[in-house]
Amino acid sequence: MFAYLWQRLDQSARLVLPCATALVFVLLGAMTWPLPYFGEVAPPLALIAIYYWAIHRPDLFSPAMAFFVGLLNDVLHFLPLGLSALLFVGAHQFVFSQRRFFAGHSFYMMWWGFALTILLAMLVQWVFLSLFRWQMIPFMPVLLQVVLAIVLFPLPCWVLIRLQRAVLSAG
Amino acid sequence: MTVLQPSTGWSYLITLPWRTLNQRLSAIFFMILALGLLVLDRMQPSLMENSRAHIIDSMAPILDAIALPMTAAENAATRVKTYMSLQEENQRLHADNARLTEWQNALVTLQNEKRELRSLLHFKTEPGLAYISARVIADTGGPFVRGLIVTAGKIDGVREGMAAMTGEGLIGRVVEAGNWSSRVLLITDLNSRIPVTIAGSGDRAILAGDNSNQPKLLYLPQDAILNPGVRVITSGHGGVFPPGLPIGAVTVAARGTYGVTTSADLGRINYVRLVDFNLKGGNFNPLQNKIEAEDTTR
Repeated sequence: MFAYLWQRLDQSARLVLPCATALVFVLLGAMTWPLPYFGEVAPPLALIAIYYWAIHRPDLFSPAMAFFVGLLNDVLHFLPLGLSALLFVGAHQFVFSQRRFFAGHSFYMMWWGFALTILLAMLVQWVFLSLFRWQMIPFMPVLLQVVLAIVLFPLPCWVLIRLQRAVLSAG
Repeated sequence: MTVLQPSTGWSYLITLPWRTLNQRLSAIFFMILALGLLVLDRMQPSLMENSRAHIIDSMAPILDAIALPMTAAENAATRVKTYMSLQEENQRLHADNARLTEWQNALVTLQNEKRELRSLLHFKTEPGLAYISARVIADTGGPFVRGLIVTAGKIDGVREGMAAMTGEGLIGRVVEAGNWSSRVLLITDLNSRIPVTIAGSGDRAILAGDNSNQPKLLYLPQDAILNPGVRVITSGHGGVFPPGLPIGAVTVAARGTYGVTTSADLGRINYVRLVDFNLKGGNFNPLQNKIEAEDTTR
């Protein structure tokens, strides 16, 4: 009986892990950092989670999940409702279609793929919001956020790799 | 494991394996749904506002739990720093205390005088202000929006339009009040427009946020020449904020324009004071009604 329950619990944990990490990353992305002004250029952690799972476990991370993670991101970051959802689903599809290439040979390839993905995503977001608000949004902070996200990418990625190995690879 | 085929027009969909096809179709569906939401958000912002407030309300305990260890770590770091400079701090405080006691004596005399003069004139005193202190649980700033989520909502008496201040000065305004949490739009946000006065010269201007840390002064009189460091305060026009709230000091920005360095350090705000001034014009959301906001503030 216990063995069966344990098995079911283990199975559920495997199924929800990608979505749960993406949601946690959205919440972490909105937290108050002890470093002054870091919040303004803090990397969009949710996009890192979506990028990672779209490459490694697209079977456990569907476009629907990317959509709902995006909606939560929009609400918490005061963005027009649907913007992150659209971007996240788009990024998920882009990465999913190129995943063999990004996950190909080494970590550096994945890193490069992320750089391309985030640059495209933020560029689209910048153009869209500038048009949506009919006002030129300063581009420098956006660029700074992209650069910082690329530099810090290995850190959240390492957490995701560890989680995937701990929960998804066993058994 | 799915294998991707080269994409050539719509006919390639037939050749795709089921799982990939499923991914593609559901992605198209959710992208259309997201676009629909964006259009709805643009056309009917008020429709979405309630759901936003409810979602933030339900997320508030989790955000609070995440924020607590961070605040504790920051407090611990500040405590260690304070211990290290205890002697200097003590000397500075002694000097401050001596100076402030003089000020206090002067203020008491002035206050008595003011009270007497007011009673002579039968002056109608302004209604008392309501203060609500709240802790910041999320910094939702980024390159696109500057805002905070704080732990006080309608249940605590917060309403939209309230001014958000720290001890140093004005930092923003409540634009959305949920039951337990509220959203504060900072004065540095792109959508923030505040009528201000330059202390001393009395020149009027609009303080416009541009997502940088130094909001700009717009619509200054053409002949206005401002000295860096001069205080900028709210003018009270438009009825959003009362006159005289401190905001910051003038700085000279590029190409002869002027900016404002805020008195409050917007990079590290842990607590805010929400102040209800009971003013008529304070109840609008600049995110929703920007044109109206600009008209009111001009």
